[in-house]
Amino acid sequence: MYDFAYHRPKTMAEATAALKGKPEARPMSGGMTLIPTLKQRLAKPSDVVDLNGIKELAGIKVDGSGVTVGAMTRHADVASSADVKGAIPALADLAGHIGDPAVRNRGTMGGSVANNDPAADYPAAVLGLDATVTTTSRTIKADDFFKGLFETALEDGELITSITFPKAEKAGYMKFPNPASRYAMVGVFVAKTAGGVRVAVTGAGPCVFRVKAMEDALARNFSADAIKDIKVPADGLNSDIHGSAEYRAHLVTVMARRAVDQANK
Amino acid sequence: MDIKGEYRIAAPREKVFAALNDAEVLKACIPGCESLEKLSDTEMTAKVRLRIGPVSAAFSGKVTLSDIDPPNGYKISGEGQGGVAGFAKGGASVRLTDDAGTTVLAYDVDAQVGGKIAQVGARLIQGTARKLADQFFGKFAESVGAPPLAAAAEPA
Repeated sequence: MYDFAYHRPKTMAEATAALKGKPEARPMSGGMTLIPTLKQRLAKPSDVVDLNGIKELAGIKVDGSGVTVGAMTRHADVASSADVKGAIPALADLAGHIGDPAVRNRGTMGGSVANNDPAADYPAAVLGLDATVTTTSRTIKADDFFKGLFETALEDGELITSITFPKAEKAGYMKFPNPASRYAMVGVFVAKTAGGVRVAVTGAGPCVFRVKAMEDALARNFSADAIKDIKVPADGLNSDIHGSAEYRAHLVTVMARRAVDQANK
Repeated sequence: MDIKGEYRIAAPREKVFAALNDAEVLKACIPGCESLEKLSDTEMTAKVRLRIGPVSAAFSGKVTLSDIDPPNGYKISGEGQGGVAGFAKGGASVRLTDDAGTTVLAYDVDAQVGGKIAQVGARLIQGTARKLADQFFGKFAESVGAPPLAAAAEPA
């Protein structure tokens, strides 16, 4: 690890102030990606602003329309929350299958969504459920939030404070996990929402994306059979030692069908 | 790894080719380029800082132009050392063809990455290379022509 200045603010205002005017400063939530990167000396931030001391950022609130999860809420807390299980069971189930127990007890929803790893699980839920991301300066709809490989609409120094998921009539998430890391080789979140059916795919491409052809088919007939012949093109999908782009394209349809079955249970 | 793509640029081929050889234009278009110095007509030294997600690495190295065939195309290659992060090298064959008053730029990139950055980020290298190629040629097309009429990048 290289040297850096460490800050542990107690309020959002202090955190924002600690990041201001320092282009090489990095905020840290659970540190599940940042700490290994620092240990490998693959990043050299001037300052690390640790958000773990900010009490107002953690917690889950439920009302009639949906669930609001504070940015610093751990995956394990989302997975075990009776409120989340009651309102959006698919979201609790997704959180319970992220990484391993160490990651789930440390990693946070805000950190995962802000990092936007192409194989992370939460971005699929945020996009699939048409969630709204609230930051220190504005609210951003899911469709406008994820911009590309590790890229989001967040500006330098802008922090996620909470994410609001509207209740869905039906929702399901299925992933094909990498057996070592539990990262999604391909994960598909399917939801029947007030605004229509949404299908969000993570792990397959450089960034989470929606599959309109599947959404249209499921809007007519919300069953796994309705999408069994819909293939996404392999062009532009991820290809690595774990699987080719063609393999991932195939997995998208398989996982989408299972997610629909899950949603229909 | 092999990445191909095509851009249509609203400018004549001679102008596009001249821009491909202009160090100032290259400097403005290479993602994260902090400095680019011309050693000769075909050799330059560059400092590039890349930030992809959690990783931030500074590379310093050489940019070489070869197979120069005005105004049809050339090959631009670069290799850089990123200290403990590892090394990266790659090249892009660029072909220019006339098409109804505009120029079609087709590129074919191959890239290799080694060292720690390759071990830790193996699953991300292809996506990163495609993103960087897109950023470079996208910005190039924008700065040389009018706004790009069509942009597409496809893996081979």
